[in-house]
Amino acid sequence: MPKHKSQLGGSGLGNYRLDKSELNNEQLFGLWVEGQLNEQQRHEFEQRCLEDQAFAKKVETFNLFSMHSEHYQSHEVPSWDRDSTFNMPDNVKWWQWQGLPTLSFATSILAIVMVLTGLQVRTHEGAMTISFAGKQSQQEIDQLVNDRLSEFQEVQQLALANYTQTMQQQQMDTSTQLTQYLLGASRKERREDFAELIKYVNEQRGDDQLFYVRQLNKLQQDIYAQPELTGSGNINE
Amino acid sequence: MFEKTDEQLIAKALHGNKQAWLNLLKRYEKQIYHYGMRMTGKNEDALDLMQEVFISVFRNLSTYRNEGSFKSWMFRIAHFRCIEFYRRKKPMQGLDDTPEVECDAMSAADRIHTHQENKQLISAMQQLPLAQKAVVELKFFGQFTFDEIAEQTGISANTAKSRLYGALEKLKTLMEVDYA
Repeated sequence: MPKHKSQLGGSGLGNYRLDKSELNNEQLFGLWVEGQLNEQQRHEFEQRCLEDQAFAKKVETFNLFSMHSEHYQSHEVPSWDRDSTFNMPDNVKWWQWQGLPTLSFATSILAIVMVLTGLQVRTHEGAMTISFAGKQSQQEIDQLVNDRLSEFQEVQQLALANYTQTMQQQQMDTSTQLTQYLLGASRKERREDFAELIKYVNEQRGDDQLFYVRQLNKLQQDIYAQPELTGSGNINE
Repeated sequence: MFEKTDEQLIAKALHGNKQAWLNLLKRYEKQIYHYGMRMTGKNEDALDLMQEVFISVFRNLSTYRNEGSFKSWMFRIAHFRCIEFYRRKKPMQGLDDTPEVECDAMSAADRIHTHQENKQLISAMQQLPLAQKAVVELKFFGQFTFDEIAEQTGISANTAKSRLYGALEKLKTLMEVDYA
């Protein structure tokens, strides 16, 4: 686009010489189109319209085309499928929520971290404690050990008491049984001893009786063998 | 008086209110359709482009931050969809290339949907390169400033002025022929 050389002169327009040289036809035309011409630019614009036929023709064309555009007949839009432009996706179900895989992944990572770090969450007397790697305070460990020991001690004492009681009962029962056995055994032995003694005595008496029977029989025989002796004989023989 | 603002309709549409979206669409469909008509020159292409624009607008509705007017934001999308549309239709043609003149290429359906007075204007625009045509469209029919056109098309304001200036050079010839 050839730049317009200013042909303006004279005393009246001499003050605009500097501005004229800075604006080419396109810029001046652009300002005119936008309605932003100041007074001196308007003078220059009019001057160019008079002196530059090509420029003037463009202005004329612009006006002509502008007039036609104003008379443009905007008839109604033919029928068309307006609904096809409304492409709103259906409400997704909660299980089809796009963030679900991400949430699942995040919770999995959290679970892995909790396992690897040994995360422990405890609530004690309204206070929540989160600890990692199973580390507990020494005080808590001591408290826990003491509690466990006390519990163990109570259990052991109870067990010992029961054991002692059981042993005493068992010993008492054993002693009673032993006493009864001893008493029973003693009676039996004495009875047997007495029985043997009586038997012995009876045997001795039997022997004595047998001895006396024999003596008496011998005496009888002797008597009967020496009849003389029975009447007149000397008895002392 | 009780018409809801664009922002209110957008907020409702984002919450799945189809009627709000259709109201917003009906508010701008005429502008977008005629934008498509002037940019493509064909009723069928204008309808396709309009559908693509509104699908794209709806898809990006959540990214609209109320910075600038909704219309300006929508026409920025329309411009990029239009470029894509052109590249798909005419992959070998650059944005600054002058399109091949299709003599009396307007179909019967296009004639029905194109007013006689509009036909010459649309026909003249079809002979401009896409880059110039976009600036002409936004300037004359969108009533946007050069700064807004620059923002919507991703070029500088000076480039937009230069393209309009260049477009008028061609339109001058075309209008002379048409109205001779």
